[in-house]
Amino acid sequence: MADEDEHPVPDWEEVARTYGRFLYNVAYRLTGNEADASDLVQEVLLRVRRGLITYRPGSMEAWLSRIATNAFLDEVRRRRRRPVEPLLDDHEHVLPGGEAADVEYEARVLGEDLQAALSRLPDEFRAAVVLADVAGMSYADVATALDVPPGTVRSRIHRGRALLRLELSRA
Amino acid sequence: MPDRGSHLGDAISALLDGELDVVDEAAVRDHLAGCDSCAAELRATQAVRAALRALPVVAPVSDLAARARRRARRERPLVWAAAAATVVALVVLAGGGQDDRSAPPVARLVEAHATADVRADPVTHLVPPALIPVSLELEP
Repeated sequence: MADEDEHPVPDWEEVARTYGRFLYNVAYRLTGNEADASDLVQEVLLRVRRGLITYRPGSMEAWLSRIATNAFLDEVRRRRRRPVEPLLDDHEHVLPGGEAADVEYEARVLGEDLQAALSRLPDEFRAAVVLADVAGMSYADVATALDVPPGTVRSRIHRGRALLRLELSRA
Repeated sequence: MPDRGSHLGDAISALLDGELDVVDEAAVRDHLAGCDSCAAELRATQAVRAALRALPVVAPVSDLAARARRRARRERPLVWAAAAATVVALVVLAGGGQDDRSAPPVARLVEAHATADVRADPVTHLVPPALIPVSLELEP
């Protein structure tokens, strides 16, 4: 895939050594379990090794998170594990605020409950939330990773967080 | 930006994430000062955001790089098999030679085989993976 500024794709073994833990953590939060996270990391390393991905120097974390998210969403679509849910990106559908006003979540309950709630989010919302809050990416980087406009990213992140609140309040 | 008078919606997350420009941020803070509903949603969203960011980093249980290297090797079996077959053939040829004068032609053969596209060779291609020398499977 020739890019206008051709940059060599980083060496995959170097990527695995230096960013393996970061990548696995993002993969785990996206997939929700060890086996799928491990497979997803392998798929990302494979894509890096094949060198068919556009690479521009910049944040390696953002680049890898992008590959991971694309691989994850490809796999999700392939498996069609979930019925296709319409994505409600418009403001009208954002949950009303206020009902959980002074929630302070306790860390001990949170790890498992929060991961379970994350796993129940529609995949595209989960991807946006994980990229922003786990991978620490800017909205602009998330928009590039998901190939959607920045306004859509903002909406998915907020709605994703609102759905998590709802899930946690049920837990 | 939401219209004046409507609630903040996803501008709340954008505020928390530092994604608003100066003008929008001022407008959002202005709204928050007078709207209990949005102020409550801000606190609730902040709590979820903080919880997500406080999630522990999950460490891989297995050696991801080693698994990827094994996979990388598995995906090149034809190349390895062909290389192994070439080595076997040359060893047989060299062993069969009666005198030292056979050495130069063998060297040329080695070179020819080494530079040939082994995958294009209809014979070496058929060598089963079982013939792959074990030493090729060692970890670097």
